[in-house]
Amino acid sequence: MINIKGVSKSYNKSGIKAVDNLNFHVRPGEIFGFLGPNGAGKTTTIKMIVGLLNPDEGSITIKGFDNQKQPIEAKRNIGYVPDNPEVYDRITGIEYLNFLGDVYQVPPDIRKERIRYFLEMFDLTDAASDLIKSYSHGMKQKIIITGALLHDPALWVLDEPMVGLDPKSSHLLKELMRKHCEKGNTVFFSTHILEVAEKLCDRIGIIHKGKLIAIGTMEELRKGDNIESLENIFLELTEQ
Amino acid sequence: MRVFMSLLKLNLNLNFGISDLKYRFTKEKKKRWEPVLVVLGVIIGFVPLIVFYSIFLNGVFSVGLTLNQPELVLVIAFLSGQLVVFVFGIFYIMSTFYFSKDLNALIPLPLKPYQVLGSKMVVVMVNEYITLLPILLPSVIIFGTRTGQGFLYWIKALLLILASPVIPLVLDALLVLVLMRFINLRRSKDLLSVVVGLLGMFIGLGINFIVRRIPKGNEQEFLRNILTSQSGMIKLISQRFPPSLWATLGLSRQGLEGAGYLALFIVVSILLFLVLIWLGNKIFYKGVLSGQEIVRKKKAFSTEEANRKYGKFSTPVLAILRREWMLLLRTPVYFLNGLVGVIIGPFILVFMFFTGNQSSELDQLISVLQNESLSVYVTLGGLGLALFTAGMNVAASTAVSREGKTFWIAKMIPVPPKQQVMGKYINGFSVSEIGVLLTAILLAAFLKISIVKTLVIIILGTLGAMLLSVLNLLIDVLHPKLVWNNPTEAMKQNMNGLLGMLISMLVLFILAGITILMLIKGLSEWLIYIVLGAVMCIASIISFKGLFAVAERQYMKIEV
Repeated sequence: MINIKGVSKSYNKSGIKAVDNLNFHVRPGEIFGFLGPNGAGKTTTIKMIVGLLNPDEGSITIKGFDNQKQPIEAKRNIGYVPDNPEVYDRITGIEYLNFLGDVYQVPPDIRKERIRYFLEMFDLTDAASDLIKSYSHGMKQKIIITGALLHDPALWVLDEPMVGLDPKSSHLLKELMRKHCEKGNTVFFSTHILEVAEKLCDRIGIIHKGKLIAIGTMEELRKGDNIESLENIFLELTEQ
Repeated sequence: MRVFMSLLKLNLNLNFGISDLKYRFTKEKKKRWEPVLVVLGVIIGFVPLIVFYSIFLNGVFSVGLTLNQPELVLVIAFLSGQLVVFVFGIFYIMSTFYFSKDLNALIPLPLKPYQVLGSKMVVVMVNEYITLLPILLPSVIIFGTRTGQGFLYWIKALLLILASPVIPLVLDALLVLVLMRFINLRRSKDLLSVVVGLLGMFIGLGINFIVRRIPKGNEQEFLRNILTSQSGMIKLISQRFPPSLWATLGLSRQGLEGAGYLALFIVVSILLFLVLIWLGNKIFYKGVLSGQEIVRKKKAFSTEEANRKYGKFSTPVLAILRREWMLLLRTPVYFLNGLVGVIIGPFILVFMFFTGNQSSELDQLISVLQNESLSVYVTLGGLGLALFTAGMNVAASTAVSREGKTFWIAKMIPVPPKQQVMGKYINGFSVSEIGVLLTAILLAAFLKISIVKTLVIIILGTLGAMLLSVLNLLIDVLHPKLVWNNPTEAMKQNMNGLLGMLISMLVLFILAGITILMLIKGLSEWLIYIVLGAVMCIASIISFKGLFAVAERQYMKIEV
């Protein structure tokens, strides 16, 4: 689903690499958790996957489409939720969703059904006709999640999706992620909540100082040591 | 006091962008020229105005001398200065006290309400000096030099100028404090900004109108008439607002009398400030906090309504166009500068050209212009004005910048940049087109231009507006200003807006040059129109190709 080959990125021509020669792939049908300390390069990597940043070197393909050479095809297959919810604050929730429905060309019937489903699920039906300006952080997050899933993309890319969500919404989102993957789709998300990663993810990647230092299932990361928690593994790996 | 001073220091730093300037001059050297350019622009814009005003005041002084009231020049300056501060101060104080974003960060800090209020008040005051100095300084200098005042006068003048914003601003602040305690104006913040913006425009128009009423060459005479016949009015106003009179007398009278008025002015200023601090400490936070709740309609859709709203469907370009219009209409700054500007602009243009003259002269002018042999010039002049209105519009030249932090959505959606800029283009062009249509119709009505010629103006104006909009949008696509915290920065403090106007003027000059050349060559009227239309069409097509190519590259290149 995602294929990352030799990707590097540095900011401001300072030469310090935010992401350094990244190589990995994420398979269809799996939930992939992307972990790392603050400033390790998680958001940079995610932004390169979805096309908000251009890699200095290397290539990224989404469902076979190179996101630099065939950006539109790649984007059609991605639903992205950024880490901070910045949306047009002077349009209403429903206007925002209809806008996305139009630009992703979601047919009216399907759109109607999905909008209703998500709004009800996230308890946003009443707020949908209000300006997004009046929404709380969590509500903005939920309307962005709804917008990102409206076209039922094969790949979800979520940057810290649980931040700002209440326990119920967070639980619902995790269920959605699980269901989505059961249909053969892929979820790629970053998080600091290691318990979530441990329980939810099929595979985990840990990035540290721009380099991928570990990747695999929980068992593979434990290397046979059954009692070790993800927290311990994480702390050990990122100590240097 | 230390807490207050450190808060004040921070507020002043933010207000004047001192750290930002330092950063620009030391780290981000590429952007060094921007503030320099802004300062230069302000100087170029304001120096002629101040010179004109000083000449006017000098006239007032001379008239005052003949009336045996040389201090008239000081009354006028202090009165108008304090009046300006009072009128605009209300909105300024409302926005800094209640609408500024930093309140959310300041309220949780262990600060007394009066410290927050006091520091904000001082910042507003310091800003008002920038308004007051050009109003007060010329009259103080004229009076001082022409009556040959000594050292003491200049000291008194300095004290008075420093204290002059206090009284009007404190009155504003008291008014606002009490008002906000009881009425929740935050809810209608958008409406308020639009009202203030419109008020500003109308005041500008009014001043323009009055200045144009002054007969050329007879300014002295005119002034004498106003001052003698209406000195009652000036007296009346200064009686209603005695501080201006105190300031004047404190400055113009000698010895103890002068010192007494000066002391009165300063003591009243200090007392009022203390009252504000006292009252502010009691009710400021209450007013701020009562406005924090967010209004929601809390109205669920009916099934029918939901079906209608959830199931709309249109193409990506139309969806983007609709979004652009919604944001333009609903964001006060965009609405005022993007739309209201092109609607009021044509009226201002017509006013400027046709209200300076006496009405009999105007009738004469109109009848001369109706002469068939002049019709080609009238049409071309009308076209020029229509395109001028279109070119002054900043809707296209800030179209990408306005996306700001939401630009990630533009990068994410699977809509080719070509289509995205197309949606923006149609939006910017239609705004310009409103300007073209209004100018054409107003001119036609005013100068009694024939329907055929009006249509020529409209058609050529439309073609020109198409070209200008592409070029304006191109500027913003090339170098959008995406980092901003306040929509004002995206529209009014955006170099692209200014650059767009300059490019539009350049295009107008080129078109005017071509036209003049054709007129000299003696080309027939209709041939001139056809050539102009063709030139604009071809230029539009070429620019469109450029715009699309640049958009494809830039949307990819811009990282967010």
